Amino acid sequence: MAAAITARTHGLSVLVLDEQPSAGGQIFRNIESLEATRNSEFSKLGQEYEFGSSLVRRFKKCGADYFTDRSVWQIDNNLQIHHVSASASKSNSVISHCQAKRLLIAVGAMERPMPLPGWTIPGVMPCTAVDVLYKSSGLIPDGEVVLAGSGPLLLLIGCRLLDVGVHVSAFLDTSMNGALLKALPLLPNALRSHKYLTRGLSLLWKIRKAGIPFYSGIQNIEALGASKLEKVRIGKSGKFFDVTADLLLLHNGVVPNVQITRNLGCEHRWYDVQRYWEPIVDDWGNTSVDHVSIAGDCGRVAGAAISEVSGHLAALETVYQLGVISKVERDNLSQPHRIELARQKHVRPFLDKLFQPSKTWLVPENDKTLACRCEEVKVSEIRETVRMGIKDPDSLKSMTRCGMGYCQARMCGLTVSEIIAEEKKISPEEIGYFRVRSPIIPITLGQLAEID
Amino acid sequence: MIKENAEVVVVGGGVIGVSLAYGMVKKGAKVILIDKVDNRLTASRGNFGLVWFQGKGKGMPRYVEWCIEAIERWPEFAENLETETGFNLNYEKTGGLEICLGEEEHQERVNFIEEMSQASRSGRYDCEMISRKELQGMLPKIKLGKEVSGASFCSHDGCVNPLNLLKAMNSSFQQKGGSFRPEQSVQKIECSSNDFKIETGTHSFNAEKLVIACGLMTTKLARMVGMKVSVIPERGQILVTERTSRVFNYPTAGIRQNYDGSFMLGSSHEAVGYNIETSYEVLQNIAKRAIRILPSLKNLQLIRSWAALRVLTPDQKPVYLESDQYPGAHAITSHSGVSLASIHSSILVEWILEERIPLGFTAFHPKRFNVQEAI
Amino acid sequence: MFKKQYESHETVSIIFEGKNLDVEIGQTVASALLVGGNMVFRSSVVSGQPRGPYCMMGVCFECLIEIDGIPNQRACMIPVREAMKIKRQQKNKE
Repeated sequence: MAAAITARTHGLSVLVLDEQPSAGGQIFRNIESLEATRNSEFSKLGQEYEFGSSLVRRFKKCGADYFTDRSVWQIDNNLQIHHVSASASKSNSVISHCQAKRLLIAVGAMERPMPLPGWTIPGVMPCTAVDVLYKSSGLIPDGEVVLAGSGPLLLLIGCRLLDVGVHVSAFLDTSMNGALLKALPLLPNALRSHKYLTRGLSLLWKIRKAGIPFYSGIQNIEALGASKLEKVRIGKSGKFFDVTADLLLLHNGVVPNVQITRNLGCEHRWYDVQRYWEPIVDDWGNTSVDHVSIAGDCGRVAGAAISEVSGHLAALETVYQLGVISKVERDNLSQPHRIELARQKHVRPFLDKLFQPSKTWLVPENDKTLACRCEEVKVSEIRETVRMGIKDPDSLKSMTRCGMGYCQARMCGLTVSEIIAEEKKISPEEIGYFRVRSPIIPITLGQLAEID
Repeated sequence: MIKENAEVVVVGGGVIGVSLAYGMVKKGAKVILIDKVDNRLTASRGNFGLVWFQGKGKGMPRYVEWCIEAIERWPEFAENLETETGFNLNYEKTGGLEICLGEEEHQERVNFIEEMSQASRSGRYDCEMISRKELQGMLPKIKLGKEVSGASFCSHDGCVNPLNLLKAMNSSFQQKGGSFRPEQSVQKIECSSNDFKIETGTHSFNAEKLVIACGLMTTKLARMVGMKVSVIPERGQILVTERTSRVFNYPTAGIRQNYDGSFMLGSSHEAVGYNIETSYEVLQNIAKRAIRILPSLKNLQLIRSWAALRVLTPDQKPVYLESDQYPGAHAITSHSGVSLASIHSSILVEWILEERIPLGFTAFHPKRFNVQEAI
Repeated sequence: MFKKQYESHETVSIIFEGKNLDVEIGQTVASALLVGGNMVFRSSVVSGQPRGPYCMMGVCFECLIEIDGIPNQRACMIPVREAMKIKRQQKNKE
């Protein structure tokens, strides 16, 4: 939205393709409707929401063409973009194309998959799923909820659930021992914006004050149930005990959604602190592919405020690259954004270090755990195949089917990177990643052939 | 340097290399199988899985007979592998189709089958034209497109799970005492009077006999032991759909429904060098043709696409060669490594280990290309 | 399981597994089924194990369900419509 606004300010013709039915992305999901029809909840979501709402209003007025409900399934080398309805019944929605001079990818982030035994049982979900259901549909969990994982988002969602009266029967903290100590060297920076810190700590205090059973140093979590979740088995210091649960909400950090940047052939690097792949970009969001830039959490994950700033900067770069402003003008116009970036950016290293994902939850020890949900490929099969001498993900994919399913490795890509890295004792960067091919999301053969 | 000895070193862990290595250990030979470090470009992993002879070998009758013999050996070959390893190869010898659209394609096919039948010395070329009506009768669960004019049908053709084939052969090879050494790329080959020393970065393998069956790298390695074998890459692109109930029970070269219910659609033949990107136009053409043949496919969702490189000799037929300069070194390259796996693991192994030269074997010698050039 | 936090506004009538369900306009198929207590949307094509919605944002493809006769639709991305017919998907029979 920010990029569109800035690009429009300088007279560029802008088309925004959004897979969702309304503006706001993940954080400000369904914000217009919330403000209009569920105002009491809207005001409870906090000051950021007011801000998000104003951004959406400015976006809607800026003159960009805004197509909702559009999924991009192919991007050609010459930046012709092929898109289709995200929601219409597959057989009767038609493909559309558009030609771009420059492309900005701002598809945001997703939850890091947190594989554990039983994680495919209905009733196990990433914690942001309840956030989506709450914002888009006004639903809250009914029944016993267990929260498991680590990270500020889990704490935030935990608090929201408590505020609306959801029964949280346990909080399983999987954050690494000594995490706070490791992050302390970065503390002075972080304290410049202490409200993040204090907010996080107050969330933790709130959860504990509510008397919710809080377990840290958890080594094992297993979801159990016949056709849906019935209980969660917890292992700590060699002892196991069960907690009844209807919903198990997981969180092990937020990672960039690199499906499209991978598909485009952008170079990526491995960000070791937070254990994820991110596209390699310069200060303006330019990727290694000509005329393609990124903004927001589909690159280094940094939250809403920085995402917005990166959007403005990427747009200014685009305006300059298309010859509408000079380099000097671009640099001058970017100044306020750079200052804002500097102001906001310092807290991130602290949070990234504090909430580093721990190895236990990246490379499942229990070999029976499914690494690939779509094709049901166990961690053990992947390990065996790597031991046979296969170390590149695409060969692994041919041999095991891992990554061949509908999600095209979105849910297993990081797990595979971690397993191969652990087996071969090298960095994921040396291993590489799956080749992400078209279609980026499934389309019908009829749509591809462009017949009725 | 880790030193290892064997009777035979096979360089190349794709379908051809593995089938040779497998056949050799079955004969009791001590074999080391080497596979290179970068596995991305292999034809064996990007394979349609046809076990086929219809349409092959035009202009080389010896090859036609070779293919027929390979197909005849396939059922027993598959059964043995399954018994030895427990892998399910999903080999289906249902007969195979080449479906024609329109009159011109139909006539071309009629002419082709006629020519092939006449050229077949043994008379074993067994492929017939069937009418549109007969074809629809063979496919009760799915409707043919309006333009379908007929097909050629060969009862010997079939299909298999090519990845399971690779895994099964490799597994059986190792079970029978073969040594598999992956992540080894050959850097140097030293030839002495009675053996070969093959050096990779970390290992030195010594053997009396050497077999080079490494796809696109064959040219480079064969040169190290005095053989001239030229191969070029040819790209093919494939579409794979969601799984659906089984309605199409005969493989064709362009459409097959896998054992799990997904459809694989192909293919293309592109001279683009070492490029395995997929392209919108080609994929669209594949989709269009598939829909013209089976219109109801248009509602199936496409989940993924891929591209791989075929390894082609100048006339697209096998080259089987022993080095004159360094006897004991062999180069083997062929399209259709899957279809020929049964004969590679038997008759070719006898040639390599026991020097039993099959009848008419000179047909496969690359000097045939010199003849063609001379003309 | 999930429940509505506030009173529904306008509703439409959809058919799930042959039974009528009144759901609020603007819900996705996924949220509409979850509110009715339906957590299982399909059986996995590989082993037949029960599967239901996971990420709710369109990246995991777990919520695939048959809508108006067409299988493998992402329920979390599709808004409900009057008279929509929804059915669970079973593993294909060989």
